Amino acid sequence: MSGFIQLVVSGLATGAIYALVAVGFALLWQTSQTINFAQGEFVMVPAFFVLVAMKVWGLGYLPSIAIGLVVSALLLGAAFKGLVVEPMLRHGVLPLVISTVALAILMKESVKDFYSSQAQQFPPIVEGTDIEFLGAVVSTQSIAIFFVALGAVALLNWFLSSTLTGRAMQATAQNRAVARILGVDVDRMILYTFLINGLLTALASFLISPIYLAKFTNGETLGLAAFVAAIVGGFNHVRGAVLGGLILGVLDNLAASYVSAQYRAAVPLIVLVVVILFRPQGLLGRVEERSV
Amino acid sequence: MERARLVPLAIAAAVVLALALGPQFLRPSSLYLVSLWAVTAIAAMGLNLTLGYAGQISMAQGAFVGIGAYATAILMQQGVPFPAAFVAAGAICFGVGWLLGYPALRVQHHYLAFVTLAFTTLVYLLLRNEQWLTNGVYGISGIQRPVLFGVSFAKSADYYYFCLGMLAIFLGAMWWMIRSPWGRAFMVLRENPVRAMSLGVDTRRYTLLAFAIGSSIGGFAGGLFAPLVQFLEPGSFSLGYSLSLLLMVIVGGSGYLLGPLVGAMVAVLLPEFLRFTQGYYLLLYAAAVMILMTFCPQGLIGMAERIAAALRRRRTTATTGTH
Amino acid sequence: MAPVLEVKDIHKSFGGIVAVDGVSFSVDEGEIVGIIGPNGSGKSTLFNCVLGQLQPTSGEIRVDGKVTTGMRPCDLNALGVSRTFQLLQVFPELTVKDNLIAAGQEHRGSMLSRLFGPPDAGLGAAADRMIEFFRLSHVAGERAGRLSYGQQKLLDAAMAFMGGPRLVLLDEPAGGVNLTMLADLRERLRAINREMRATFVVIEHNMDFVMSLCTRVLVLAEGRIIAEGDPASIRNNPKVVEAYLGP
Repeated sequence: MSGFIQLVVSGLATGAIYALVAVGFALLWQTSQTINFAQGEFVMVPAFFVLVAMKVWGLGYLPSIAIGLVVSALLLGAAFKGLVVEPMLRHGVLPLVISTVALAILMKESVKDFYSSQAQQFPPIVEGTDIEFLGAVVSTQSIAIFFVALGAVALLNWFLSSTLTGRAMQATAQNRAVARILGVDVDRMILYTFLINGLLTALASFLISPIYLAKFTNGETLGLAAFVAAIVGGFNHVRGAVLGGLILGVLDNLAASYVSAQYRAAVPLIVLVVVILFRPQGLLGRVEERSV
Repeated sequence: MERARLVPLAIAAAVVLALALGPQFLRPSSLYLVSLWAVTAIAAMGLNLTLGYAGQISMAQGAFVGIGAYATAILMQQGVPFPAAFVAAGAICFGVGWLLGYPALRVQHHYLAFVTLAFTTLVYLLLRNEQWLTNGVYGISGIQRPVLFGVSFAKSADYYYFCLGMLAIFLGAMWWMIRSPWGRAFMVLRENPVRAMSLGVDTRRYTLLAFAIGSSIGGFAGGLFAPLVQFLEPGSFSLGYSLSLLLMVIVGGSGYLLGPLVGAMVAVLLPEFLRFTQGYYLLLYAAAVMILMTFCPQGLIGMAERIAAALRRRRTTATTGTH
Repeated sequence: MAPVLEVKDIHKSFGGIVAVDGVSFSVDEGEIVGIIGPNGSGKSTLFNCVLGQLQPTSGEIRVDGKVTTGMRPCDLNALGVSRTFQLLQVFPELTVKDNLIAAGQEHRGSMLSRLFGPPDAGLGAAADRMIEFFRLSHVAGERAGRLSYGQQKLLDAAMAFMGGPRLVLLDEPAGGVNLTMLADLRERLRAINREMRATFVVIEHNMDFVMSLCTRVLVLAEGRIIAEGDPASIRNNPKVVEAYLGP
């Protein structure tokens, strides 16, 4: 039982990180029909921005994190939108998918060639000590990750539902044409979405890299986790993506110890396929209206 | 008008001649590479049918090459002669591909991409973990080159001709199918499935066929791949390989008969000629793909077609201008 | 002889909303029947039920006496039911001629003969005749996507006739077509009706077009048939005027 609780708590921690990534993924899809196949690499790379600031420029942890966030927002948000997505929209969905697949390779190779192909230590947000909880040993780091990640999602949710800009963003996501008629600066709202995605993936990067180390190949599993979480929860839903992320994190941990370590990676994939085939709108999603 | 036909014909003749004379002047390592190109081109050709002609996105072609390669290797180790193992590889992939087509009847676009992506990773896990069958991460080594009708294809140069011959056969078969009513049915499925259905095209059957045939061609490519490399390991057939085949089809020009040949050339042969780029080839390739997608998502053949059309226009305006 | 199309007491509702509320009619061979009605009267839903795009909630549809309720559109087409669409539905990347061959090829031979037989499924000459009939000869080799709107509309109609249909359902054929083109289209449709003995059912907003093309007109309002008769009697029917203009 204590083992179970331990697995659930650490699963919720990684799940909360997946949720961050999945929320960004779903937001991009909603506002600009962008399926970002490089989303995993978007989580892999910001850790290296921080490492460059710390190791090359010799800055402290917090200034480096700040630099990492700003650079991520600029490169993974604004530059991604302006240089990759925007010029491609007129070509339809497939070329953009291909382009983000290529972008993933580009980012992976860049880190490998220009930084290192070795896994790098990354400083944690809090020093980990273990505490007792219902007879189980739980690390404070897991708890800190959980609250930071969910705090960020809650903040985002508040922003989207309670501020004027946030509501304008939601209007843009739901119906761009109507939003434009209502006087919303649609292009600016789309830019905000990309910036938010850049920040979310950067935060996820800073939270997960201390656990799994920073390595150029990390994006492959992280990206897959984001897809699965976003689809399981429901593509057109922030809450859905959060739920999907948490479910996935816990499921992943439980599968590793109760199914088999070898087929651990298969469990989320099977969940993905089952959800797509039998509930494509996701657990919380609504059916998107279709006209014949 | 005459020149427009002659130029591609001359290029084709030169390429065929160069390939035929290859063993006269190529080093064994280069022969291997050209053989690998031929095999990869066949695999990409299968995906081009599913994606380029029938419009069904698949991120699973690499998995089918893997299934075909492992099937061939395992059967040959059990003493099954190569031709039978080769046919079995194609048949198994036809069946599995048919089944993978069912999700495509329910979901499209990115959902289909994710289903096929999940399939690829699951196949990789099976190849890695089912040691009793695939020998797991240790891989299968010592795969023999085929002997057909008493003729051995063990030498690099002989297997080189064998692979190129197969490429020619598959290219011919694909050409025939694409211009047959089947090819037209695949294309109308891509262009407008609702309209196709109203004209009596059984979209369900053709969707499944597009997956099954495309996958079986991937399986045949795997059947050629195993004796070529003579050593199989699961890592060769991970998601990365499927994605790279997908890029090849798009880069070459999806929906063009020769697109996969060009795409495989860029991915397999070009790095050899660009040795000076050293470790940076993949990086440059990825950047080039992104630029190509921005300016010409029809791929390299599409681009060549566009340039040819522009030249023709210029020539006609030049001649009418002198009147 | 059984009528070409028999619709018996069709109901269709979406959630709680009733779109088609017990419609029955039949169409005999060679007729051109028009279905008119204000927006939201259930015309399109009725059409989609007959064509297998939607499952009716209850009721029965027969083609040449054979029950076809719930059949897929491609199986219906095999029985000789063909259609055109309200919005343009051609295959833009294929040439005009390939569009027409594609429209008829599934009616020729078997799966195997379509793989190993002639590439045009033996329809080359028929496609050329159809191209000539619809006056598209000068663009026969063009990709359909490059044609003008009116030309695509003609191609769209021509495609419906390639399979040699018994029954053709035309969904707003006159929509977006200019006046000269309209007269042309009407004359082509009449000629096909005469020469091929094809039976037509037409949904249309353009009253003049319906009245001048059809032999019989049904008026639909709120999911029911409120009037039926020849064009002249429909024009003077007070119920019809009321349905369109309100009480």
